[in-house]
Amino acid sequence: MKKGFITLTVNGDTCEVVVSSRHTLLDVLRGKLQLMGTKEGCTTGSCGVCTVNNGRGEAVLSCLTPALEWDGQAITTVEGLEHNGELAPIQQAFIDYHAVQCGFCTPGVLMSAQAILNATPAPTEDDINDGLAGVICRCTGHIKVKEAIRHAGEFAPRRKA
Amino acid sequence: MLLPDHDFIKPRSLAEGLAVLRDSPPGVRLLGGGTDVVFNMRCRLMTPATVLSLKDLPEIQGVAVLPDGSLRLGAASRLTDLIVEPVLRERHPALVKAFRAVASRHVRNLATLGGNLCLDTRCWFTNQTKEWRDTKGPCLKTGTDACHAIQGSPVCVALNNADSPPALIALDATVTLASCRGERTLPLADFYREDGIRHTVLAPDEILTAVTVPPTADRLVFRKETARQGMDFSYGTIAIRADSAGGRATRLRIVLGSLTTSPRQLTAAAERLAALGLGDEGLAAACATVRDALGPLTNLYSPAAYKRELARTLLRKAVTDLREMTA
Repeated sequence: MKKGFITLTVNGDTCEVVVSSRHTLLDVLRGKLQLMGTKEGCTTGSCGVCTVNNGRGEAVLSCLTPALEWDGQAITTVEGLEHNGELAPIQQAFIDYHAVQCGFCTPGVLMSAQAILNATPAPTEDDINDGLAGVICRCTGHIKVKEAIRHAGEFAPRRKA
Repeated sequence: MLLPDHDFIKPRSLAEGLAVLRDSPPGVRLLGGGTDVVFNMRCRLMTPATVLSLKDLPEIQGVAVLPDGSLRLGAASRLTDLIVEPVLRERHPALVKAFRAVASRHVRNLATLGGNLCLDTRCWFTNQTKEWRDTKGPCLKTGTDACHAIQGSPVCVALNNADSPPALIALDATVTLASCRGERTLPLADFYREDGIRHTVLAPDEILTAVTVPPTADRLVFRKETARQGMDFSYGTIAIRADSAGGRATRLRIVLGSLTTSPRQLTAAAERLAALGLGDEGLAAACATVRDALGPLTNLYSPAAYKRELARTLLRKAVTDLREMTA
């Protein structure tokens, strides 16, 4: 098919969207659903700022996957981390540990961090490095981010995004 | 930038997918996780009329232990799922290491084993944006008879940059290719061709369905050298399989990846190591054969002289790893 309806559950809300085979998941999130939190960076899989979580809470690159592939599936974007105005533990930890600089990569880093915590609430150094390797912060580095993840995993109750 | 216009087909069964391939005119592109194909489509290196998504086909998922003890890995299994597969971790930790060496977690959460094995070859002059390529003019892969990497080369010399083939070839893995005409199984080593454009023997109507790893008690080591450890295409990879224990081995298989158009086996080096042992003497003799075994190399991504030295370095490091393994 060149064009078709797909059913997507984004941040808990189920919606039907008309998409073309020319769209990636990122095009649908930003263009069709107006969820501008997810950023478009390199679109070649190098930078990771387009990271969202799939139905299993794993980090995936929304720029490298055709939208039609996602019919019937669930996605969490950075907009879905907070609930009723209350920030997710990982978001609060990013604020507390100053893990944000210019902020462009932050949605991708947050969703990668959430994916690490979804897999294990007590990630090892290796888990964190592995989970963050695909997303690049050009301002500074991953030190503060890693501190924030460790903190969110250790002290906050685990919440599946 | 939107992807090029194409027809997207997501079959519900393998038979349905094979029928699509049989009935379609040429120009069908098989899609696994999409991390390679979507990227190449965005750069307009691939402009298929039809994209056939294989990712969710139930017949080609997961790991099965066959009656003879072989492991059958479904081609549409995600690399992430293979990495945590208990039977793989227990039997072939170095193979798991090779799967984990592929790109980043984000990519492996989408990417499939079949997709990595069929990863398109890469070239510094071709894997660029369309605007970049237009300033240089087309090449063998993009529609003329010129090669920018080696002037006058009759054949495309782009590199096979996949990380999983060397380890699988060292393990004597076979691949199963299905089509409406039937099924054929061949060694993974014979799956690749010395041609950067048609770099595998997969026919236009075939689908890679499974990889079978025969049982073995041999040791296997894997190493990857790359610019950044986190995620990057490799400068070079090596996998060595050896029998016996400690400093001796009677049978070895050495496979290098990412240096040439198809994974390269070092048979002469393996023979020297078997004859002289895994000590310094055997290693020096084995390293002396590397230059001839590699033959002419391109300067793609790293200079040819660096590639030769890297091959020797990988060999030294991997043999040192082997010595420390008991079995």
